[in-house]
Amino acid sequence: MLDRLGTSLKDALKKLAGKTVVDRAAVEELVKDLQRALIQADVNVKMVMALSQSIKTRSLDEQPPKGMTVREHVLRIVYQELVKLVGSTGEAKLEPQIILMAGLQGSGKTTTTAKLARYFQRKGMRVGVICADTFRPGAFDQLNTLCMRINVQVYGNPDEKDALKIVREGLPSMSGNEVILIDTQGRHALEGELIQEIIDIQKIASARHRWLVIDAALGQQAAEQARRFHDAISIDGVIITKMDGTAKGGGALSAVAETASGIVFIGSGETIDDLERFEPDGFISRLLGMGDLKALVERAEETMAGREVDVNAMMRGKFSLRDMYQQLEAVNRMGPLKQIMSMLPLGNMEIPQDAYDVTSTKMQRYRIIMDSMTGPELDDPSLMGSSRIHRIAMGAGASPEEVRELLRYYKMMKKALKGVRGGQGKMNMQRMLKKFGGGM
Amino acid sequence: MFEGLRARLQKVQGALEKNIAGAASPQGSDIPQLESTTDTGKDPTLLTRVRVLITDREFLISEKDIEEPLFELEMILLENDVALPVADEILRRVKEELTGKRRRIGESVDEIVISALRESLITVLGQGFDLIAYIQGHDRPVKILFTGVNGTGKTTTVAKVASYLKKNGCTAVIGAGDTFRAGALEQIDVHAERIGIKVIQHQAGADPSAVLFDAVQYAQAHRIDAVLADTAGRFHNRANLMNQLEKIKRVMKPDLVVYVDEAVAGNDAVVRAHEFDKTVGADAVVLTKADMDSRGGAAISIAHTIGKPVMFLGVGQGYDDIIPFSPERVIDELLGAGS
Repeated sequence: MLDRLGTSLKDALKKLAGKTVVDRAAVEELVKDLQRALIQADVNVKMVMALSQSIKTRSLDEQPPKGMTVREHVLRIVYQELVKLVGSTGEAKLEPQIILMAGLQGSGKTTTTAKLARYFQRKGMRVGVICADTFRPGAFDQLNTLCMRINVQVYGNPDEKDALKIVREGLPSMSGNEVILIDTQGRHALEGELIQEIIDIQKIASARHRWLVIDAALGQQAAEQARRFHDAISIDGVIITKMDGTAKGGGALSAVAETASGIVFIGSGETIDDLERFEPDGFISRLLGMGDLKALVERAEETMAGREVDVNAMMRGKFSLRDMYQQLEAVNRMGPLKQIMSMLPLGNMEIPQDAYDVTSTKMQRYRIIMDSMTGPELDDPSLMGSSRIHRIAMGAGASPEEVRELLRYYKMMKKALKGVRGGQGKMNMQRMLKKFGGGM
Repeated sequence: MFEGLRARLQKVQGALEKNIAGAASPQGSDIPQLESTTDTGKDPTLLTRVRVLITDREFLISEKDIEEPLFELEMILLENDVALPVADEILRRVKEELTGKRRRIGESVDEIVISALRESLITVLGQGFDLIAYIQGHDRPVKILFTGVNGTGKTTTVAKVASYLKKNGCTAVIGAGDTFRAGALEQIDVHAERIGIKVIQHQAGADPSAVLFDAVQYAQAHRIDAVLADTAGRFHNRANLMNQLEKIKRVMKPDLVVYVDEAVAGNDAVVRAHEFDKTVGADAVVLTKADMDSRGGAAISIAHTIGKPVMFLGVGQGYDDIIPFSPERVIDELLGAGS
């Protein structure tokens, strides 16, 4: 459904192409589509209305700067307003600090705490975790199991009912660690006692950061909840969890607006490494269900023809076989992969050597194999079971082993691309990738 | 729950009434070219309206009269977490119900508006679901499978339902089908011990189908009324996990599949309810976290999407914080009219 919205948004944008004056009807249509997309993404209704109003007035009132077409002008405004809506990335410095986790029941605090421990650990910090969830049965076991897997120290006592006592006693025992994470029990804004409890915890811990964990599926309720948490412990960052489902996370934006903070991290999977720093461009694409808006803004004058590689999706690790197919096609025209990669300003990025070792003959084979796959398989390679692999192999005149090899190659590419995210000179690289993806 | 929606709905009722009442006073001074027929359901022209008003002392409600209040109604539904497609559908029905309707002068506009809204909400929310009556009316053990995405409160709900059944004189056994999440087994253990109910479980990482099969066997051997099967939370876009759920269903053959979601969920509630319903079906819905001052929109969205009744609302952290859902009462509350 949202994909369709993305398309209708694109159609609305197309109507603006080639116009010399801003067409009121076209702008209104665009705004209406935008509204629907954002509301379906759970963005606060009032925020959506304010945003669309300001896009409308700005598009119609502001003169397009010299040399900019009408469409570029409108697109730029849409993009600027969306960036304003989404906010900036919250701060997460690599320094000694205490971080207090807060959130509603079932938003994923404990899982996120473990993921954060992993994040800081990978950045070379010594991390310790305090389990101050004294209510939910199994909370300590859960955190302890997750942290043991990554060798992170946990302080907690499943038999102690006083969370304040645990924090008070836990902090000194954590003194050897640089980053101390405090996991708390889930609570919501109307539970006065629990809100008081977290205020008291903060008094004891004086945490540098108070992060609010928000479920991507949370709806219009987000603003209200965030406001109360903010009143209590002054939230300075938001983490969106469960972004691996189909929820768009728009509710979290109301939380960001209420707390005047920024989104810090995004949780997008069940394993401990599935935590990413927030990146506004990718988030906007997802909100709207359409590809890279920024790139669209950058090359607005070109007509939107054919399907483009969704660079942002690739960056987020949403890299399907279809994308790989197009990449292979583009690479075919441009020369070996290694040569292209060396042209990109990738900095310290590591692409496994094996990824380069695919000869052009092999690529040719891969493309033929992919030609035997169905649409759903190309979009979602996780469907691939042995019977499908067998069928594909038959169709492509290849052996099942070759198909598996292709899938392995795909996984490697996917992983490599995921690793690229957030590096220096990212914008340049996006543009470059875009170019070779879209066939120049 | 629902308070916010109710207050706003009452306001919009007022607006609808005003607009409709306003339409009663004819301002059109055009020469009336009398039309012979007025077909209800279509948007009546001003002329028809004037004619009907003069000849029949009635007037027709036109689409334009109610356009603005309907837009406001839509905003209200959206602000209260009713998903966009569902809000569209409700509006379409209210509009259909109202447009072209004749109203005698002096007849209460109130009734027309309320009945239109009530109609569409009743259609959407359907009937409640009486679990105790269901268990009594079926062969035992009644096997109930709980499904849903991560963190909606399945395990807590299983514990609450177990406690509810126990209080109502039914025996139950819990099958600990969440073998994936760290700490899940410990969690259900503690719950079961507190409410005094037997749990069947294997070790972490075991095949959930096997665990739940054992739970059913145990219930049969011990003549227990109900098997409550907990499962690990899973996202509907994970093909493998959904396949696993299908397998669980094949193996334990549940009598009821209960879909658990949270009352605070937004638009995604529709997407995932649909996917779960498609894969393993759903016979009833439990909405958790309804005490979070939520607006109840998710109830409307989910019920509308899969067309299945809401069975319970979870309203707190205690074992007794679960209440059977009664649509009529909720609608009465929403519309502020018990009549």
